[in-house]
Amino acid sequence: MRNLNFDSSRWKLLNNVIVGLVSVVGITFHNYKVTDISIFQKMMIETMAPIQRGSTSLKEKVNYTFEHYINIINTSKENETLRKTIDKLNNNIFVLKEVKKENERLKKLMDFGREIPRKKVLAQVVSWDSSNEFKVLRINKGEAHGLKLMSPVITMTGLVGYVYRLSDNYADILTVLDQNNRVDGIVSSTRTHGIVEGHSGFTCQLKYVSRTETLEIGDEVVTAGLGEIYPKGIMIGRITKIDKENYGITQKIEVTPSVDFHRLEEVVILLEDTSSQELSVGRQTETGEQI
Amino acid sequence: MKYSIQDIMVGFFKTTVLLIILEIFSSAILPSLGFTDFKPAFNVLIVLFLAFKLDDPVLPFLILAFQYIHSAFSIEGWATGAFAGIIISVSVRYVKDLLNFSTAIGTIIVVQIFQLAWFFLVAMILSIKLTDFSNFLPTFWQYIPESIFLSLISHHFFMLMDRFWKVKKLNAGAGY
Repeated sequence: MRNLNFDSSRWKLLNNVIVGLVSVVGITFHNYKVTDISIFQKMMIETMAPIQRGSTSLKEKVNYTFEHYINIINTSKENETLRKTIDKLNNNIFVLKEVKKENERLKKLMDFGREIPRKKVLAQVVSWDSSNEFKVLRINKGEAHGLKLMSPVITMTGLVGYVYRLSDNYADILTVLDQNNRVDGIVSSTRTHGIVEGHSGFTCQLKYVSRTETLEIGDEVVTAGLGEIYPKGIMIGRITKIDKENYGITQKIEVTPSVDFHRLEEVVILLEDTSSQELSVGRQTETGEQI
Repeated sequence: MKYSIQDIMVGFFKTTVLLIILEIFSSAILPSLGFTDFKPAFNVLIVLFLAFKLDDPVLPFLILAFQYIHSAFSIEGWATGAFAGIIISVSVRYVKDLLNFSTAIGTIIVVQIFQLAWFFLVAMILSIKLTDFSNFLPTFWQYIPESIFLSLISHHFFMLMDRFWKVKKLNAGAGY
């Protein structure tokens, strides 16, 4: 009975050992390629992602306020009504311009995806992964919109990544910038195979290319289509640096993705269903219209 | 046991709300302002605070809980951070007398040192798991400005957390 009468330091030790062991088991079974999420995480993502989405649009609203309202603080009362009308009209123009730009982007995306015989779902980028080590995007489409784990994600400029984890209305995309994402790539001019892997910052590396291969800066790298994730021929990026060291059998090649991840707003998710080429948009503009 | 269940629950709730706000700041607000490559890991700062100042047997479970919440915002998952947090909290016990949080500069230096320790632990685990060490150094250089930012705000951040966890009231002397 005396042994059970633990003091505080023994409890600390026991708890540390328990949590430490649980963590080691967690690390062992954690998969950085694709993962299922727990009910709690699903609930958290479903609750927090709309706030993340709202935070993103907050910036535009703050900009708008500064641009349009700060200058009219000291205007006379006579002009007030007129200015309000102008502001309202300017606001409408601003909204319409945004809708026009959005429509142009969506049209380009639709045109771009026509030759790929897969069902496509359009989604908006909601946020990024909160850890800088991982280059992961969160989008506003999930299981309820037909998305599946490991579905490829593209834009009109090239490959973005694949669906890493899913909740009902949101999904996390493991981008090509992430070191855990390995894409079977091919240099389109020489048909040289290699593995494109996220490296540092916003660049990738083309690995396992023999030193004897003659590649040039500016060469396009596209998906080889050999893996089970990505279709063949999707642009990944261009070679921006080649480093042939004096040792080793491979060369060090830096690839800059064709997708501008700093300005990424919309993406297209490709689904396995080949029977339909419908583009599921299901999203409303600020004016309330269905695009 | 120095903390009542009520103190722990209140502290946990307040810290959870703060963590969620800061995770949203890192994952949505900063990227929308163009800082796609600068995302301070506030979860690390919270775990370090707990490791430094919370002298209670439930500490490992609190670290686990905060890392689990963090995992909803990052694919890093809960396990790596929880493991690093446990190692750090155990290490802190041995050097507690040397730690000084009474001045801002003292807090900044201590937090910076332990953030680097955290980085090495997490990066080593990730590199071993992926059997690829080539990203270790680039990630480290990327981590430096973020960790400096967190260290610079740590003094004021810890003052806020002291209030959440009533550290001065209940735990005066420890770590000061």
